[in-house]
Amino acid sequence: MIEVLHPGIHSSIQDLGRFGHQSLGVPIGGAMDQNAMLWANSLLNNAENSAVLEMSYKGPKLLFHESTVIALAGANMSAQLNGVTIPNLSAVEIKEGDILEFGNARGGIRTYMAVAGGIQAPKRLGSRSQFKGITTDSRLSKTKLIPFHRVVFDLKKGARLSTPKVDFIDIKISVYKGPDFYLLPPKAQDQLLKSPFTISVKNSRMAYLLEEKLIHQIPSIWTTPVLPGTVQCTPDGTLIILMRDAQTTGGYPRVLQLSDEGLNLLAQKSTHDSFQFQLSAV
Amino acid sequence: MNDKLPFRLFTTHPRVVILEWDKEPDYTLLHELINFQKQIQKEFKEVIQITQGYCSLMLFHNTEVRHIDNYTNRLHLIFSSTPSTPINKGKLWQIPVCYDASFAPDLNPLAKKLNLSPEALIDTHVSASYHVSFIGFLPGFLYLGGLPKVLECRRKKQPAPHVSQGSVGIGGKQTGLYPADSPGGWYVIGKTPYPLFEPQKKKPCFARTGDSVQFLSISKSKYMELEEQKKNGSLKIIPV
Repeated sequence: MIEVLHPGIHSSIQDLGRFGHQSLGVPIGGAMDQNAMLWANSLLNNAENSAVLEMSYKGPKLLFHESTVIALAGANMSAQLNGVTIPNLSAVEIKEGDILEFGNARGGIRTYMAVAGGIQAPKRLGSRSQFKGITTDSRLSKTKLIPFHRVVFDLKKGARLSTPKVDFIDIKISVYKGPDFYLLPPKAQDQLLKSPFTISVKNSRMAYLLEEKLIHQIPSIWTTPVLPGTVQCTPDGTLIILMRDAQTTGGYPRVLQLSDEGLNLLAQKSTHDSFQFQLSAV
Repeated sequence: MNDKLPFRLFTTHPRVVILEWDKEPDYTLLHELINFQKQIQKEFKEVIQITQGYCSLMLFHNTEVRHIDNYTNRLHLIFSSTPSTPINKGKLWQIPVCYDASFAPDLNPLAKKLNLSPEALIDTHVSASYHVSFIGFLPGFLYLGGLPKVLECRRKKQPAPHVSQGSVGIGGKQTGLYPADSPGGWYVIGKTPYPLFEPQKKKPCFARTGDSVQFLSISKSKYMELEEQKKNGSLKIIPV
């Protein structure tokens, strides 16, 4: 067990998400930056879908009740184990009674902590990803206990990663055209693909709203399925990028769709960060 | 003979295909979409999940979609032989709803807007039969088609920040039930004590797309009685 002494700003347990229940309106969810989540798991030879701890902006303070091995990936949160800095992207041994404390995220906004054997939070509808109304808890809170199995892990046997070549400062977010892209007037299409955009203060695991608006007259559409990475355009021209916890259907025109890489990279950006969409062919 | 309107196909992601029909949704299209989904699932093993909107389907694949022209042709061919009439009639659900003012903050304002008495509004809402067009917005939120024309209304300009679980609302040409507390832009005219989405169960949502729904008006004392039953977990909606 890991005891949460302080939950951080927004921390939650996530795996790769919940599939097969979208037709009942259940969001997919899952880790926001799945690249970083997979790196953390692969360092410990965990299964890809093993649940990890996702930490945003500022991480928690944790007390380990048992020994284990962990690995961190994603943004640098200046993690300190009993007061001594530990690096990202390497397996780190933890002993019973150790205290792990995270600081503010730098370079990106989300950090992932994998635990050998994976976090064993209860599965609901096939996934351990926390989501309001599906799992008992929707995020980490003080005094909660995070369960894991005791597995024997030989530090010498973990995967070695050469530093992954993803740069969270990259400002190009790769996208495909959405079904309603061509309903935008040419000027708005141009703006969408050539101008920089800024993430507004309204951003969460569900959606990121952008500050810049498009001028258009697209009529509203019949409610249709959407997915994480779908970029919607509201009647007043606001762009909404749906993130992992997005609802399963929506009634706004869908002008773009982020690629998997685009979605993972955007998940490391936050309020006031700017970026550009970069068009790819499907 | 085949007079069905063909669909347009979009690939918006390497593993996602969207099919769209350019028409007003109706009961025929609903059943074409339901029947088509079943056939796609039979013919294409690589399609791992399908979600439905009013006039659209989204197909998720377990791998990148290749040979899109060939794939599109196969889909069109299958659709042309898809029946338009319901294969399964679907289940009929009668959902008890209390329309008492204490559960219906928008009943009187909406009745005024529609030039109806509150009683007439309730009678009209209860006498109609609805169909589940699809499920979305929230886990277990049923989009119900078949709202009588006299009850159609524009959504609220500003969504209410808090609509409580079980609330029954009207918005646009639709009516529906809130399976969880949520912000919402629909007019709330009543409330059901029944649980609408139970994630801990194997079948978390009682209804399926294509099922029918009717509302039964119950008194406030009956609501309270059922609410007690819900507390010990014995309250369950049963099909007619």
